[in-house]
Amino acid sequence: MTAALEHWRIATAALKANWFRAILTALGVVIGVASLIAVTAVSAGASADVAASIRRLGANVVGVDGEYISVGTRQSATDRTITPGDVAEIAKLPMISLAAPHQDVESLVVSAGRFRTNTWLVGMTPTYAQIYNQRIARGRAITENDISFGRDVIVLGLVPAARLFPGRDPIGGTVRVGSHEFEVIGIQARRGQLADENLDNRIFLPLPIVTRVLLGGLNTVHMAVRVTSESEIETAQDAMSEILIRRHALPAGYPEDFSTQDQASVLKEAQSATTTFKALTFALGGIALLVGGIGIMNMMLVSVHERTREIGIRKSVGASPRVVQAQFLIEAIVLSTLGGIAGVLAGIGAVYLIGTIAGWQTLIGVPSLVIAFAVALAIGLIFGYYPARRASRLDPIAALRYE
Amino acid sequence: MGGDAGASVIELTDVSKVYASGELSVEALRSVSVVIRGGEFVAIMGPSGSGKTTLLAILGCLDRPTSGSYKLVGEEVSTLDETHRARVRGGRIGFVFQAYNLLPRTTAYRNVELPLVYAHVPARERRPRVLAALADVGLSDRIDHLPTQLSGGQQQRVAIARALVIKPSVLLLDEPTGNLDSKSEEEILTMLGHANLAGATLAMVTHSEEVAQHASRIVRLADGVIVSDEPIERPIAVGAR
Repeated sequence: MTAALEHWRIATAALKANWFRAILTALGVVIGVASLIAVTAVSAGASADVAASIRRLGANVVGVDGEYISVGTRQSATDRTITPGDVAEIAKLPMISLAAPHQDVESLVVSAGRFRTNTWLVGMTPTYAQIYNQRIARGRAITENDISFGRDVIVLGLVPAARLFPGRDPIGGTVRVGSHEFEVIGIQARRGQLADENLDNRIFLPLPIVTRVLLGGLNTVHMAVRVTSESEIETAQDAMSEILIRRHALPAGYPEDFSTQDQASVLKEAQSATTTFKALTFALGGIALLVGGIGIMNMMLVSVHERTREIGIRKSVGASPRVVQAQFLIEAIVLSTLGGIAGVLAGIGAVYLIGTIAGWQTLIGVPSLVIAFAVALAIGLIFGYYPARRASRLDPIAALRYE
Repeated sequence: MGGDAGASVIELTDVSKVYASGELSVEALRSVSVVIRGGEFVAIMGPSGSGKTTLLAILGCLDRPTSGSYKLVGEEVSTLDETHRARVRGGRIGFVFQAYNLLPRTTAYRNVELPLVYAHVPARERRPRVLAALADVGLSDRIDHLPTQLSGGQQQRVAIARALVIKPSVLLLDEPTGNLDSKSEEEILTMLGHANLAGATLAMVTHSEEVAQHASRIVRLADGVIVSDEPIERPIAVGAR
């Protein structure tokens, strides 16, 4: 190859001579590359977030929710559909490692002294805490003894803890739920969001107190199970459905009075909502790159036109068409690659800003940087080809006479 | 410099060139045959439109004849494609144009080095050759000057250095003094005379009888045919020295 160094020198000299035009031209590539990097980093961050959430919220968790069906079933409204017998039989399934009934009251005003807050009550057991990977930040968790001795104890999520005991230590404090008072024994560690639910706006009471004392009866609306492995989740859902249909004696053709859903799919669904947004931003980045490429092609065509005489001179002293083509192609590649480098830097900057301002988790992968860079290079190659080809085909005589 | 004196460097046989544009076609050269031998200094003259510029373009492998044969140092070059013609230009032909045609924003050194780069001469061999070529035209103290920092005469001397640095078989000149004042013209013509004495073969298009008198032979064209081809018995270049 005729002195790559010479080509590099010619290319940089030509770009320097028209540096402002070169910068404007490279801007499209800069924006395109930067947005691709930003989108990739945000979506990689979101994926890592989901994986971390699944680890934090408990893996392979399936929830069973009872649903009251008014016609044709033997359950009454107060039966709340999931019986201790249902739970016991499901717990025996080979692919179920843990099963725990729980009773939720989804909107409830509770108070501590003059402070009140609207929260979500969960009547639960230590098994429930185990299934959902509940961690206690301060104090202690609800134990089997609390349940068997019928102690009036309560564990608070971070949100009610802050609202009911602003600036004070909640441990040992008293929370009033309905006409009953409970002693705060623990604060749940941060759990974050599951889809659009704030899992930190929760209060936890021993299950029997909720079912027997606050609501009456033994049954619950909810049950949580942990499946032995992710691959068994669907089998487990089918097996649980079969048991519940049989035990609830649902007539054939009647709707089921329960539903099952696994937690991971809720998370993934929540994430997929952002997929559309992601695809859109990705497409915009692609369009910016395309426009950038066309900009490079345009500038190179102008450059070839302006330097017609130079091309003629080079040809007269022995530059072959291939050498002339290489010269202009390298100029286009240098331009797009410099744009790519600037784009990578701008992209990293944008990711950093998104991380700090929006508070999203982001993850910049080295492969994405390499790919973005390669894309910039390819843009120069593709959109520089035609102008370079045109330069190489100029008639030397006409080029020399060109004024 | 141009091979054995007396051996034929350029051999044109029945060369014609037809320019076709739309339905019109112009016959710029009609069955031109001419031989230029090593060490000759040939002036090509003729009124505008006589075909002298076309002849020079064909001699320089910038253009191809429509028909006929062109042998450059024994090699048939009229049928070569553009890539091979570029190689012939880079290796065997030196050009000097009326408008100097130096690369702008490029130093004298880089301009002279250019043909060596395209001829794949290794970098370490280039420098002494470039410096020698610039010394031959008396510009050793101007190697890092840009064309805009040089006078017309100096620019043309850089162009001559660039043409001679590859030790071409033939040096082709297109009105080399057309843009110069009489003092610079004299300098350039003296320089060309020296190169010719050192063995270079020269073919120069000019419209000036006075300039043509520096050559050893004058070929006159009219309407695409050679109308006269006469040696000059006592070139004034020799007398002037």
